[in-house]
Amino acid sequence: MKRSWRQASALYGGLAALALIIGLPFWWVVTGSIKLPREIIQREPTMIPHSFTLQHFEKLLQASDFPVYLLNSVIVAVFSTAFTVLLALPAAYAFFRMEFPGRNTLYRTILLAYAFPGVVVLIPLYGLFAKVGLIDSPVALVIVNVALALPFSIWMMRSFLATVPREIEEAAVVDGAPTTTILLRILMPLIAPGIASVAIFAFISSWTEYLFASVLIVSDARRTIPVGFAGIIGQYQIDWGLLLAGATAAIVPVVALFAFIGRWFVSGLTEGAVK
Amino acid sequence: MKNTTLAFLFVSPALLFLLAVLGWPLVQAVILSFQDVGVIGSEGHFIGLDNYAAVLGGGGFWYAFGRSIVWVLGNAIVQTALALATALILNQKFPGVKIARTWVILTWIVPTVVVVIIWRWLLSTSGGMINPLLVQAGIVERPVGFFSGRDSAMASLVLINSWRWFPFTALMMLAGLTRIPGDLYEAARIDGAGTWQRFKRITWPLLQPTLMVLGVVGTLLSFNVFDVIWLLTAGGPSGGTQTLPVLIYETAFKGYRLSEAATISVLTSILLMGFAFLTTRAMTATEASR
Repeated sequence: MKRSWRQASALYGGLAALALIIGLPFWWVVTGSIKLPREIIQREPTMIPHSFTLQHFEKLLQASDFPVYLLNSVIVAVFSTAFTVLLALPAAYAFFRMEFPGRNTLYRTILLAYAFPGVVVLIPLYGLFAKVGLIDSPVALVIVNVALALPFSIWMMRSFLATVPREIEEAAVVDGAPTTTILLRILMPLIAPGIASVAIFAFISSWTEYLFASVLIVSDARRTIPVGFAGIIGQYQIDWGLLLAGATAAIVPVVALFAFIGRWFVSGLTEGAVK
Repeated sequence: MKNTTLAFLFVSPALLFLLAVLGWPLVQAVILSFQDVGVIGSEGHFIGLDNYAAVLGGGGFWYAFGRSIVWVLGNAIVQTALALATALILNQKFPGVKIARTWVILTWIVPTVVVVIIWRWLLSTSGGMINPLLVQAGIVERPVGFFSGRDSAMASLVLINSWRWFPFTALMMLAGLTRIPGDLYEAARIDGAGTWQRFKRITWPLLQPTLMVLGVVGTLLSFNVFDVIWLLTAGGPSGGTQTLPVLIYETAFKGYRLSEAATISVLTSILLMGFAFLTTRAMTATEASR
C-alpha cells in the first residue's frame, strides 16, 4: 500500500525524532570521551569533536580500578546468566508444557515476585548473608541476580515454547525417548533463540544491578562496574573526561553482546509479551 | 504429557530458590518490623506495633508516599505518550525496521550508572550540552540548575527515567499492536476512514487490554526504581525526590534504624500487593463483561 505524502513525512519525521532522542545523548558521551578537556567544558559545545585524545581512557586504566570492576562485572554476569538459564528452562518447560496441580497458582506467585521492590528484601538478605559469611562475596551477587531475573525469564520462555509444535514431542514420546532426551536433544535447538533472550536479559540485569551490589560488597577490589563507577563519580573533583570514558567503556560490552543476539531478545519481548 | 513428578522436579529448583532468596527474607522483614533493631547485626527485642505507630504517625512515610505517587504518575504519563508514539512508528513497514526495533532499546541495556553520568553531564550547569544550547537559543539567560529545586529535580528525574524505560514499554505495546489483524485496517480504509479515524476506532480500543496490563506492570516497576534517583539526587533537594524505596534505603543504611526501615518495607509491600490485587481484579471484571 502507498503512503500519502503526509503519512510518509509523519513516519520519517517520527523516526528521526526517535533517533535523536535515543542516539544524540550517546553520541555526545562517546565523542566527548575522546575530546580534550578544554573542548569538553567549553561554553559552545561541539557536535563533532575538534580534538582527539585517549588520555581519559589511559587515566581510566591507570588511576582507577576500572579494569577490576569490569572483570568483576563480567564474572558475576556470566555466572548469573548461566544459573538463570539452568533454573528457568526446566521451570518454564513444566509451566507451559506439562500439567500438574497448582500450576497456575505457582506461576502467578512467581510473577508476583517480579513486582516486588528489591529494597524490601535487601535488609533481611543482608542479615542472612552475614550469617553464612557471604557478605563481600561475588557469590552473594550471583544469588541475588538470579533471583531477580528468574521470574521474568520464565515468563519470556513462554512464547518460544509456544512456537514448537507439540507433535514433535509426541512423536518422540511414541518413539520411547525419555523426557530428558526430548528436552535436551529435540527441544533445545528449536528454542535456542529463547535461551538467547533469557541469557541476554539475565546478563543485562546483572550488568546494570546497583542496589544490592552497593550494599553486599564492601571492599573496593570486589566491586562491579555500577558501584565502582558510582564511587569514581564522588572520588574525583568532577573529571568529566574520565567519567565519559568510563561510561563509554561500560556501554561497549553490552552493545557488542546485543549486536549478536539482540534481535532474538527483542522478538522474545514483542512476541511473548502481554498475555 | 502427564508426568506430575517430573513436572515438580522441573519446577522445584526455581521455586525453592525464589522462596529462599525472596520469600524467606520477606518473612524476616515482617519479624524485624515488630522489633527494635538499629544497626545491622545487633540484637532486637519484641516491641509489638510500636514501629507501625511511629511510622504511620510520623510525617516522613506519608511525605515519601506522596512523592512516590507523583513519581509513578509522572512516569506513567510521559512513558505512555512516548512509548505509544514509538510503537506506532515501529509497527509500520519501512526499510531498516528490524534494526530500529532492535536498537531502540539501547537506553535500557546500559547500566543505570551510565544513564546517570550521561544526564548529569548533559544537564550540568558548567559545560554540559543542554544548558549551552538553551542559552544559545535564547530560551534561558543563565544555565538552569535542573536538580536544584524540589519540583524541577522531580521533573528531571521523571524525564530521565522515562528516557531509560520508554523503549522497553514501546516494545511491549508493539506486541499488542502486531496482534491487531491487518484486515480491520484494510476494511476501514475501503470504507473511507482516515488515519485518525482508524486509530480512534481500531487501534485505541483494541490496544486497551495491552495498555491495562502495562499500566499495572509499569506502575509496579517504576514504583520500585531506586538507583536512578539515588545516584542523581539521593532523594534531595530537601526530600523532593525521596520516594518510598529511597526512604527505606536511607532509614536502613544511613539512619541505622533497621526495624523502622523494615516496617516501611512491609507497609510498602502491602500497598503494592493491594494495588496489584485490585487492578488485576478490575481487569478480569472488564474482560468478563465483554
